Amino acid sequence: MPGATVTPGRPTTIALDCMGGDHGPVEAVEAAAQLSLSRPDFHLILVGDVNELGPLLDEREYEPGRISFRHTPDWITMEDSPRTAMDDKPEASVLVACHLVADGRADAVVTAGNTGAAILAAARKMGRIPGVRRAALAAVTPTEQTHGPNEDPFALLLDVGATLTASARDLVTFAIMGSAYAEAISNNPRPSVALLSNGTEAHKGPPEVVGAHEMLAELSEVNFAGNVEGLDIPRGSVDVVVTSGFLGNVVLKMLEGIGEVISELAKDAYARRFLWRFGLTMLSSGLRQIQQALDWEQYGGAPILGFSQPIIKAHGRSKARAIGNACKVAVKAARSDMGRVIERAVAKVPSVEEEGTQA
Amino acid sequence: MSWRHVYRWDLDKTYLETDFESVRRLLTIAFEKPEEKTNVPGSAALLRELSREREGELPSRVAIVSGSPRQMRKTLEAKLELDGVVWHEFHLKPQWENLRRGRFRAVREQVGYKLPLLLRSRLKTDGLTGVRETLFGDDAEVDAFIYSLYGDVVGGRVQVDELVSVLKAVGAYEDAIGKSVAAAEKLPAEDVVERIFIMLDARTPPAFFRPFGPRVIPIFNYFQAALVLFSGGHLDAEGVIAVARAFLERDGRSADDLANFVQDVVRRGHLPGSALQDLGLAVQELTNVANEAEVIWKAVQRFVDLGSARRFLPPQPPEMDYEALLTHLRSRHR
Repeated sequence: MPGATVTPGRPTTIALDCMGGDHGPVEAVEAAAQLSLSRPDFHLILVGDVNELGPLLDEREYEPGRISFRHTPDWITMEDSPRTAMDDKPEASVLVACHLVADGRADAVVTAGNTGAAILAAARKMGRIPGVRRAALAAVTPTEQTHGPNEDPFALLLDVGATLTASARDLVTFAIMGSAYAEAISNNPRPSVALLSNGTEAHKGPPEVVGAHEMLAELSEVNFAGNVEGLDIPRGSVDVVVTSGFLGNVVLKMLEGIGEVISELAKDAYARRFLWRFGLTMLSSGLRQIQQALDWEQYGGAPILGFSQPIIKAHGRSKARAIGNACKVAVKAARSDMGRVIERAVAKVPSVEEEGTQA
Repeated sequence: MSWRHVYRWDLDKTYLETDFESVRRLLTIAFEKPEEKTNVPGSAALLRELSREREGELPSRVAIVSGSPRQMRKTLEAKLELDGVVWHEFHLKPQWENLRRGRFRAVREQVGYKLPLLLRSRLKTDGLTGVRETLFGDDAEVDAFIYSLYGDVVGGRVQVDELVSVLKAVGAYEDAIGKSVAAAEKLPAEDVVERIFIMLDARTPPAFFRPFGPRVIPIFNYFQAALVLFSGGHLDAEGVIAVARAFLERDGRSADDLANFVQDVVRRGHLPGSALQDLGLAVQELTNVANEAEVIWKAVQRFVDLGSARRFLPPQPPEMDYEALLTHLRSRHR
């Protein structure tokens, strides 16, 4: 496996792709400056156009010992076709960031840029874990029930958009990767894993879900809890929910939308009637808790699972706080040796490895 | 006697780590023994290297200009001796006299204290004609302002009427204005201030000092200053290594941290890449410097990482508007 293994005592180094997000490099630089002052345990390599990034950093308070730059004038925009851009822009910031990890100079990548480009860059530079045919984007979603010994108020949902479709075997791989991730990151010794379907019965759902159900039911390595329905996601009935990228992305965006709509409705109600304002004031601490739980910025980024080193995808519209939290997730994943943890988990399941990898 | 160069140093927050933020800390500082005083990392190593006599070269002159009260002279001199630093001038502020004479503005005000002192020191020291100067201060007060003004007065770019106007604006007393004007009128116009290093003790963003032009170099530590001084021929490779060692051994910094410091000062335009190349070649000739050499090799990698990116050395302002600069500085300290 290429790349560096995190050495105890050495600061973990994050290659931060500063160019791809909706807000441009300013938010990434702000996040880096803040982290350099507050986190002596990690270094950041800011990847992007130094002609833009440098002056932005110089306007901020920062600790220069924990920040360095890797200049590259190219980056992949949200409008670019990821596959074409890989060849047209070989020095694109996300490719360079992944190369720094593959080269052992950084331990993880964080990017708020084009998701497809991030996946292709990771595949090209860092390589897929043997046995993983498709990568999966894993997001945390707030839940009613808590999970694991840390009593985390969220569950893991994957895939949320790395690929559109997934075969039965892909879904099984996602289940194994999600389980290994939850075990390592949340210290959950045997996380429960379920498939997202339109009914809890084994025969419910499209053929790939039914097929995956059959395979997972046979696997002792995964604590398979069967199928769950959409309403079980916010309830938090299981620790890991597995689905295809298309459906996962729709679910995730809907949950984000609900959070934002609740917040807007509350603001509207507050402005309209004195009685409603009084009621909302009385409920303010509870509402704040709900708002916090639904605040995607606090969860940082979503790991793209399936590569030999960690790569964290921050939301395209991430501001400094979200990017900072994504960097913290990346540090945690690097220190947990996430790539090897998943590689070992996948290797334990011969039926999945047999299918081989696809480029 | 002739001199090779003059190094003028402030003490508090520039050479010594001094926390004035609470009355308790202020009292603690007043009663600290010399051995209890803490250096800003690398400051002692750098000043020692700058003041070191070199065979076949003229000596360098070290002048200390501090805002600490004169009552602390014995302790501060003992501290410098402990650090192995050689100095030629040591000025402390007459705080007791200021209080006794009811000059309360002068207790806090620094421009009216330091500027006449710097000008008179330049005027009264023999053998300084044409000798260039490097000044060290910090971002806690208005050192960048005082040192820039000093450089421009000596350089003949600030006329007497402007000097009087600026000194009045800062609240300097008449005698301080008189001394400054008298010295300025006698000094030959020479462009002698080479560099002004400002230690970012209060973490002021470096861009804040851009209005002062490229002569003012904001630094995060004295390793960065040592590199710039190496590029200017003030230090040899051994001197830089001595300062790097202070950071690696006494400040707990890693080779990666130091390499990042190098990239930072290169990126901001204060250190040319050729200096890094010269340093790398010189370090190859030295022995027992494995850890420090690792810093240099990592720094070379960081230099390569900058690729074709532009360096952002602040442009020289067409003319310095000192009253505007003072307002700018005070906006940070308010």
